[in-house]
Amino acid sequence: MRKFLSNKYLLTVIRIVIGAVFIYASVNKLFNPADFAKAILRYDMAPLFVVNIMAIILPWVEFSVGILLISGIMKKPVSILAAISLIFFLIALISAYARGLDINCGCFSLEETSSKGDILQRIIEDFFMLAGIYIIYKFMGTKKELETINSVNNINEIK
Amino acid sequence: MKIFKQVLYILLAAVIIGLIANAVNPKGVPLVMDKNIYALDTAKKKEEKKLPDFRNDPYDTTANKQFNNVFNGTPNKEGFIEPENISGSLAKQLYDRNALFIDARTKPEFDSLHIKGAINISYEDFHNLPSEQRKEMMRKYNKDGIIIVYCKGGKCEVSIDLAYDIARLGFRSVSIYRGGIHEWKDSGYPVEP
Repeated sequence: MRKFLSNKYLLTVIRIVIGAVFIYASVNKLFNPADFAKAILRYDMAPLFVVNIMAIILPWVEFSVGILLISGIMKKPVSILAAISLIFFLIALISAYARGLDINCGCFSLEETSSKGDILQRIIEDFFMLAGIYIIYKFMGTKKELETINSVNNINEIK
Repeated sequence: MKIFKQVLYILLAAVIIGLIANAVNPKGVPLVMDKNIYALDTAKKKEEKKLPDFRNDPYDTTANKQFNNVFNGTPNKEGFIEPENISGSLAKQLYDRNALFIDARTKPEFDSLHIKGAINISYEDFHNLPSEQRKEMMRKYNKDGIIIVYCKGGKCEVSIDLAYDIARLGFRSVSIYRGGIHEWKDSGYPVEP
């Protein structure tokens, strides 16, 4: 399992997929802060004075994380940041779900009409992405670490 | 520790890019939201009262009269009179006085059920029009006439957005009926088809 998860092709695929999702999620919001602010308001969680700031900055955090994840620069800090954002979104989503809010999650599109199950589906997706990020963080070691893992595995195989 | 520094650097970069992008974006927003016009409890609500008898004329563009002080708001700092929220019973009273009801939903939604006599201006379509065309579209309506905008009810917001768009064009008596078509129908008030 450990060897499978440290497979560099698998890790690259996970990285690119999650990075693409982050970019995809951000593009609608990047230049449309007013609509995203409305989506944030619907959650009824953030105090009014931070709503616009969040609407201005969050999409760019998502976008940067996406770009950096795909490019593979600074993998560790980027995966930490990705995890923080995902946990942040999860808290909002779960809270909205628990309160039975009939809202669109505002994750990908900013349209108002809500489809039932939207929130729950996003929660599940977020958990999968969080798992992916954990795998990247945990197994995307430095070369040296990877060599150690490989040599340990080799030794086990020889035994 | 080095990792957390890098996390902060990435965050900082995103903050700076975001602020710059918002500053140059024509659709940018102020850093602090003035007030939440979408919240039910904080929004200004029209006081409940029994209205005197009068007849509103939505199409009388020559007259310039206020109706019995039902709506006499003062312009805000952007120069328009903000729409107010009204209850179902006030909406019905105004309905009986021939107020203009505007359904902000899409055409298919409007076609399936709407308040009897209401007209349909889909917010999505209207908002994407250039402002000249919006003005042209609304030219035939009385700027002092009573306009009530609604959507499906509950958490829907297109009525609020459309009401503000219309108020910005200089209409002085715009209000929002947040109960929407659902509450209207449940109250047994006239609907069509």
